[in-house]
Amino acid sequence: MSNNSNLTVKQERDARRAEKVAKLKDQQKKEKRNRFIIIGVSILAILAILATVVLVIVQQANKPDPAAITVDGVETWTLEAGNHVDAAAGVDPANPPTVDYEADYGMNPPAGGNHWAGWLNCGIYTEVQQNERAVHALEHGAIWVTYDPAVLSEEEISTLQNSVPSTYMIVSPYPDLPTPVVASAWGYQVQLDGVDDPRLAEFITKYKENPDGPEYGAACTGAIDGPGKIS
Amino acid sequence: MAPNTEQPAPEPSTAPEKSPNTRRIIAGALVAVLLVGAAFALGRLSAPIATAPSTTSAEAGFARDMRTHHSQAVDMAMIVRDETDDPEIRLLAYDMIMTQQSQAGQMLGWLAEWNLPTTESEPSMTWMTRPALTGGTTHDHATGGAHVAGDPMPGLATSDQMAKLKTLTGVEAEKYFLELMIAHHKGGVEMAQAVLDRSNEKVVVALANGIVYSQTSEIELMETLLSKRQ
Repeated sequence: MSNNSNLTVKQERDARRAEKVAKLKDQQKKEKRNRFIIIGVSILAILAILATVVLVIVQQANKPDPAAITVDGVETWTLEAGNHVDAAAGVDPANPPTVDYEADYGMNPPAGGNHWAGWLNCGIYTEVQQNERAVHALEHGAIWVTYDPAVLSEEEISTLQNSVPSTYMIVSPYPDLPTPVVASAWGYQVQLDGVDDPRLAEFITKYKENPDGPEYGAACTGAIDGPGKIS
Repeated sequence: MAPNTEQPAPEPSTAPEKSPNTRRIIAGALVAVLLVGAAFALGRLSAPIATAPSTTSAEAGFARDMRTHHSQAVDMAMIVRDETDDPEIRLLAYDMIMTQQSQAGQMLGWLAEWNLPTTESEPSMTWMTRPALTGGTTHDHATGGAHVAGDPMPGLATSDQMAKLKTLTGVEAEKYFLELMIAHHKGGVEMAQAVLDRSNEKVVVALANGIVYSQTSEIELMETLLSKRQ
C-alpha cells in the first residue's frame, strides 16, 4: 500500500512536473516565435532605413546642384552692368575704342566688364579673339577657355577643344597667360594647371549659363564669327 | 523544488500569455508607424520644396504679365529689323528678340511646373497692387503701389503706336523704335522690381534681377543711340 501510495504520489508528482515542463516548453516556444518576429521586424526596419539612405544618396548624385560645387582657386569680381563702348557718339565704327581689362578690372585674361555691341559667337577658335567681343559673350552666359599657345602642344590643344560642351563655350588661344589654361565666366575665373586639370569641368558645370548671371537666356549665336572659327 | 513548483503555478495559462503577445503586436505596429514616418520625413526633406506659388501669387502674375510684356518687345524688335539696314540697330534688336523670347519661355516653364494656366484669374497686374513682402529681396520701397488692376502694363505700346512703327522705314523707324523701347524697358524694370519686392522664389528672383540688370543698361545704350540720330 505504502509502496502503492508512494508510487501514486510519485506518479502524481511526475505528472504535475510533466505538465509544468510542457507548459514551460510551450511558453518557450511562444517566446521563441515572438523573438523571431521581433528580429524579423528589426531586420526589415534596418533594411528599409538602408534602402532609404541609399536612395537619397543616389538621387542626390543624379542631381548635381551647381550651387553645391566649389571650385578651388576661383577669383571673383563684382561687376557693374557692362557698357557698349563702341556705341558712344562720335565713335568711328571702323576703329572702335578698346578696353584695358588689366588696368580697369585687374583681369588677365578678361572675365567681364565693358565691351562691344557685337558679341563673339560661341565656338572653337584657332586664332586670338577680340577681348571686347568675347566679354560680351561672357555676359550672355558663355564660358571662355583660353590657352597659352606657346605652352600647350598640338595634342593638348586638341584634347582641350574636344573636352568642352558644344554650346555656350568659347575656346581660343591667348598669349602670355599666367598659367597654361584659364577658364573665365562673367565675374569668375580660374587659373588651371593644364588641359587635364579636373577643375575645368567643375568650373564649366558651375558657371556656364548660371541663372544668377547677368543675361541668363541671351544668345551666343547670331552676332560675330571671329577669325579662325573651326566649329 | 518547492519554490520551483510554486512559481509558475499562479495563472500560468491564458491571460498572461495573451497580454505579452498583444504588447508585441502594439510594439510592432508602433515600429511600423515610426518607420513609415521616418521614411516620409527623409523623402520629404530630400525632395525639392513642393510649395508652388498659387494662381493669384505675385510670381504667377509676374510670369503671365511679363510674358505678355516681353512678347510685345519681341514683336517690336522683329518689325524694326525689317525696316532698317543699320547693323547697330539690327544687332540690338536681335539681342532683344533672343533674350526676351528665351525669358518668356522660362516664365512659361514656371507656370507649367507650378501646374498653373497661362490664363489670368483676375485682371492683369492685380499682383502689383498687393502689398510688398516685409523683408523682401530688395529694400523697403513699395513698388507698384500706385498701379490700378486692369490698367495697361507700364511701358506697353498702344496698338496705334505699333501700327505707326510698321509704317516707318530707315532712321525714322529706328528713332521711333528706340523711343517706344526705352519706355517699354522702363516699364519692364518697374515690373521686375515690383516682383522682387513681393517674392523670394529663387528662379523668379534670379530672372527679375537679370531683367533689371540688362534692361537698365539697355535703356542707357538706347538713349545714346537715340541721341546719335537726332
